[in-house]
Amino acid sequence: MRNNLVGKSILIAAGLAMGLLGGCKTTETGNGSPAPDTKSGSNTSSSTPARPSPKSDGNAISDPIKIGLVVSLNGDLKPWGDDSFKGATLAVDEINKAGGIDGKKVMLMPGDSNSSPEAGKSAAQKLIADGAVGLLGEVSSGITQQIANVAFDAGVPVIAIGATKTDITAVGDNIFRVCYTDDFQGPVMAKFAYEELKLRNVALMTDNKQPYSQYLSKSFRAAFEKLGGKVIHEEFYESKQTQFAGQIENLKSKNPDGVFLSGYFNEVGPIVNQMRQAGLKVPVFGGDGWDSSELLTSGGEAIVGGYFCNHYNSKEDRPEVKEFLSKWMARYHAEPGTTMGALSYDAAMLMMKSIEKAMKANGTKSRDVTKAIEDTENYPGVTGNITLKGQGGNPRKPALVVEVTKNGFVWRKSYKPEEIEN
Amino acid sequence: MNLVAGLDFSILPQQLANGLLLGAIYALIALGYTMVYGVLRLINFAHGEVFMLGSYAALFTSWALGFTPEALKNGAEKPSSWMVLALMLVVSMVVCGLIGVVIERLAYRPMRNQPRIASLITAIGVSLFLQYAGGLFLPQSPPPAISEQVNPYRKDSDNVRLTLKDAPAALKAQAKLLDAEAGKAEAAYRASEQQDPPGHTTAATEDLRQKYQTLERSAQKVEGEVNGQSVKLNIPFGQLIMLITTIVLMLILRHIVMYTRTGRAMRAVSHDFDSASLMGIDVNNVVTVTFLIGSALAGAGAMMYATFLRTNLTPFLGVTPGVKAFVAAVLGGIGNIPGAALGGILMGVVETLVIWLGFSGYKDAVAFVVLIAVLLFRPGGLLGSSKVEKV
Repeated sequence: MRNNLVGKSILIAAGLAMGLLGGCKTTETGNGSPAPDTKSGSNTSSSTPARPSPKSDGNAISDPIKIGLVVSLNGDLKPWGDDSFKGATLAVDEINKAGGIDGKKVMLMPGDSNSSPEAGKSAAQKLIADGAVGLLGEVSSGITQQIANVAFDAGVPVIAIGATKTDITAVGDNIFRVCYTDDFQGPVMAKFAYEELKLRNVALMTDNKQPYSQYLSKSFRAAFEKLGGKVIHEEFYESKQTQFAGQIENLKSKNPDGVFLSGYFNEVGPIVNQMRQAGLKVPVFGGDGWDSSELLTSGGEAIVGGYFCNHYNSKEDRPEVKEFLSKWMARYHAEPGTTMGALSYDAAMLMMKSIEKAMKANGTKSRDVTKAIEDTENYPGVTGNITLKGQGGNPRKPALVVEVTKNGFVWRKSYKPEEIEN
Repeated sequence: MNLVAGLDFSILPQQLANGLLLGAIYALIALGYTMVYGVLRLINFAHGEVFMLGSYAALFTSWALGFTPEALKNGAEKPSSWMVLALMLVVSMVVCGLIGVVIERLAYRPMRNQPRIASLITAIGVSLFLQYAGGLFLPQSPPPAISEQVNPYRKDSDNVRLTLKDAPAALKAQAKLLDAEAGKAEAAYRASEQQDPPGHTTAATEDLRQKYQTLERSAQKVEGEVNGQSVKLNIPFGQLIMLITTIVLMLILRHIVMYTRTGRAMRAVSHDFDSASLMGIDVNNVVTVTFLIGSALAGAGAMMYATFLRTNLTPFLGVTPGVKAFVAAVLGGIGNIPGAALGGILMGVVETLVIWLGFSGYKDAVAFVVLIAVLLFRPGGLLGSSKVEKV
């Protein structure tokens, strides 16, 4: 307990220092969030309490119909932002080519979140002020949280593309997502590690600056311990850090039989690369934060053989996947580097279908669109069937565990929500 | 207090070495900050971005030498040598030096007679400009990571190993045996996997995989025990080159500053800008040389950073080392050259020791607490003058 106190006072002092020094540089992305309390893993229950409704009716459905898209067109998360932008553009152009919605063209308004929550917040505010009837985005949970807060006050619906942190949709009943949550993803990887990789003593590596990573580590830990495994150690780092020798040496001395890395691909690649160099050769695995072909370039040969949880796989046999890939290839002449292209396509399509539904029911405002999104049942998305009715904004979708190979990500096993929940 | 009990002293020497290696990079960047500040009383926030551009200069040099992603596709090996590294180092230093001079000429010189805050804001502007212009034009995480291809000393067997205390021979023999068995099992599994139709795993393969996995686990467990019972130093050869190069560069810098005419002029300008110009020193020339040398040092650091440290290149990679090095420069006493070196190494070691203590979540916090503590008692930094500066 004493340690904790000392730690907290140090943190406060340093927070002040960071504020002073950070004041000169505006590129810091952290929001000063303290280290997660890793001991309590109790909030992984999947019951959804009633979500508050926004007071405002939101923007009107104008002509052209304005949809805002907040993604990271700059900064560390650019690979996701670029793919999200391409996916949404593909969907919007497809609808416009077919005559738009009820004769009205759709206008996609992109906003840059610059890989930081602050910039994401102002981008969302600007898009809403410009008349967006609904918002799409983000991939990062930390940024989506800010967008959700802004959109709740304005009464504009949000469909998040790849934000998996569970409590984001609890902000209000106008916040939705097209991906699964960390409450599902963590247990999936725990089950995979325990049953398929036969790991028992696992160490965690968590990005202290990303709410996504903190929460995923927590949900993994709870699930893995429930299965009977042990989490023997946890190390922390921060986004944009590039040298991890200290943490890796500590991990090595604890002799884990596997390491779960819950952060983003930017850091995971170098970490695993440096881990192998330091002689720690145990299996590594993580969440959908790994999903980018950049993982292969920054991780090199070291990352080959790692596993992570993903949303869909381009080698799947479903007609939606094949159709999406052929459209994508025709337009961009290369396979999508991440799965965010498909998720963004799904989010944009779902938004436009819901606007269409709302207009057919004589709806005129954002609130009507929110209602139409909430009523989504069995929408056949590229990334799987999406049902949002009565789900609290979180669709129940299967998760895929893929292996990193030299030639890309190869499907290994899928898990349905039912397999995890009991 | 279980604080001490939870510590693993067998890894302390390795952690100290890690801290020293990390600190050496900070020190090399910090030198650029401190030199510019010493001469112009300007905190050159774009220094981190010069560092970033240096790592890209190293990358493009390696491409020009034939280490392109296309040439190395499908695991093709191209022999590299120390000459390649030396050439990359020189190009990176020259490019960075020139960039530094251009930045000074275009952005800072027109601001020199304005209030100091104007230069400071210009510096931040240049920093952001370079980051986002880089985002537009430079490849992000260019494949493959540069350290995978041009470093001729990248193999595990090239690491410098020092055994301070050895594990029992019986345990080591057991680890070796298990490792060999696991290797055989893996080969069998991979061979069987090759036979399978694509996208499908047969029961026989699955069986072999399970077998291989079990063996691999036990091999790893024993190897972990070997590691736990011995005290070893394991330093990648590239990082050793880096440390030595850093020390050599610092010695050269010291020689220039202390024993050459240019160095004497630099010290004079640093002491009193206006009087120096009255004494017939070409101040503009001195400032240009300062930016040239400071930025070239960042370029050297950047080349080694990109080549030896197994990290990916992004237009934002200068941010974190830049801030850390700035803090190191302040810690050592900004404007003071040995102070920057000391501050950098201290930062690296403190950071790593905090991680070793088990507080990796607080490592930056502690580094800043050290800074505050030092500044409380010695406002000029560790080796700086105690004269109070208004910044």
